Amino acid sequence: MRNVAPLTLTPPWRAIGNIVLFVASLSIVVPLLLVVATSLKPPIEIHGGLPWPQSPTGGNYVEVFDKIPLGLYFWNSAATTALRVGGQLVIALLAAYAFARFEFRGRDVLFALTLGAMMLPHSLTFLPTYLMISWLGWFDSWWGLIVPNLAAPVGVFLLRQHMLAFPRDLLDSAAIDGAGPWRALWLVILPNIQPAMAAIAILLFIDCWNEYFWPLVITESEHAMTVQIGIRRFLDAERGDDLGALMAGVVLVSLPAMAVFLWFQRRILETFVSAGLKG
Amino acid sequence: MSASIALPAAATLARPRARRRAGNLLPWLLLSPLLLLLAAFTYWPLLHTIYLSVVDVRLFQPDRFVGLDNFTGLFRSPSFAAASWNTVIYIALSLPLKVLLPIPIAVFVWCAGARMASLHRSILFVPTLLSFVVVSIVWIWMLNPVMGMVQSGLRPLGLQMPALLSDAATAIHAIIGISAWKVIGFNALLYLAGLASIPRELIESMRLDGASDWRITRSLLLPLLSPTIYFVAITSVLFTVQQVFTPINIMTGGGPSNATTNLFYLAYEMAFESFNIGFASATALLLFVGLGALAALKAWLLGRRVHYA
Repeated sequence: MRNVAPLTLTPPWRAIGNIVLFVASLSIVVPLLLVVATSLKPPIEIHGGLPWPQSPTGGNYVEVFDKIPLGLYFWNSAATTALRVGGQLVIALLAAYAFARFEFRGRDVLFALTLGAMMLPHSLTFLPTYLMISWLGWFDSWWGLIVPNLAAPVGVFLLRQHMLAFPRDLLDSAAIDGAGPWRALWLVILPNIQPAMAAIAILLFIDCWNEYFWPLVITESEHAMTVQIGIRRFLDAERGDDLGALMAGVVLVSLPAMAVFLWFQRRILETFVSAGLKG
Repeated sequence: MSASIALPAAATLARPRARRRAGNLLPWLLLSPLLLLLAAFTYWPLLHTIYLSVVDVRLFQPDRFVGLDNFTGLFRSPSFAAASWNTVIYIALSLPLKVLLPIPIAVFVWCAGARMASLHRSILFVPTLLSFVVVSIVWIWMLNPVMGMVQSGLRPLGLQMPALLSDAATAIHAIIGISAWKVIGFNALLYLAGLASIPRELIESMRLDGASDWRITRSLLLPLLSPTIYFVAITSVLFTVQQVFTPINIMTGGGPSNATTNLFYLAYEMAFESFNIGFASATALLLFVGLGALAALKAWLLGRRVHYA
């Protein structure tokens, strides 16, 4: 996303543009700053005081762990997200390799079915999937959170694009040197598509970490609940009585995705935009 | 970067001949995990939903075929009528906010200096990173008429914040606004990517011919942006129907008196609160017909753009 200013905005339009951007950005930043500020307020300052804390305290961040088993929720979220994203990447890598590098009967139909799964709304399939997970005995377990989501068609689609764009000469010379299809995948393709793999991993991570609907359906006890469900239950239990701790929880739950974003800022923006244009 | 450049033309490259023979079984081996998962958790549920929509599921007894009874029952139910109407309202009122509003934002970011543009881009992206649970909780608190943040701002002015979320007339608009807040920035970034792919020479030559900014925007930028606009519109419809589930569930529970429920939320409630599997499946199927048509349109647009590239 290069930035070159192509329009020579006349002064009134330049001013309008600045105002529009200023208002848009403030409407995003102000509520979030208020959340952080409130999470740092001691209880007596929470209601009716200034927007920012006068004597900031980290007490709410300790209290939220006493009020709800947030540590357990984090463990469930972290572990299921890691397992799910790891599985999604391996499965998508193998499938994308098959779609991009081999010719076999039915390939185009199967690829269309994979893309079709990307288009199929979850709203359609949640009930039979729930019935099946219950039948398998995976209700309220990590298995129920992970297994039904292991296929990531968007990952297959993006990785296939990268493999198709991969220089043929490299693969040909690998084949001449006697590398079979597995060695070509591990030693030639994989090292070269690592940036793409990382970007897709981040995309899938944020998707999974922020998911609400499926964990809501498939978990019931603290031993399987994810952070999103946990913070929602905290909201129901407190109904604003303990705003400071609730906002501390909100900040903590949002931190992982924010941290990943700050770390890989540029690449994430580009991957999300290109996936958004296709997914 | 551009939407179309990312889809390389390499699809037409011939594959190595030697691999064709060796790869008789190997591609199937590579694909088997994906295919098994898609079969089990996407395509089988699709067929099962169709089955469940035409039977009466009974405990400890075989399912009874009831034909279209679930559908006719749905059409007679007042909550289905409310949910259908709300689904239309959600879509109709979301589209201008989610599709049109981001266009000027994107154009202004595009025209801003490099440093400002990069700052605004990062800020616009932040709501995409937040979960809808977090967004819902933050806005419940902001909009709370007694101790909300907006109310604290209004109080010194002698104004009173209305109870937007518990008023049947305004609750749906509050949710529409919040779900727009979550995606406007991201859609602006999509448009920005579209703008960045417009050849500079076209703009320069129009300028040499004496065209004004407005003229360039109207006759060049908007037409070249139109594939992205269609695309964002369709994505926004699909997104709106499914993603408002979370704010509905957290902020209003579909109420007050069905004022904010939509078809997806209704299907969920029927399945897990009133345990009416037949009605839930019939609702999901009806939703699917509508959304499936849109998804097909989106795939068709995507295919067209590949040819343009």
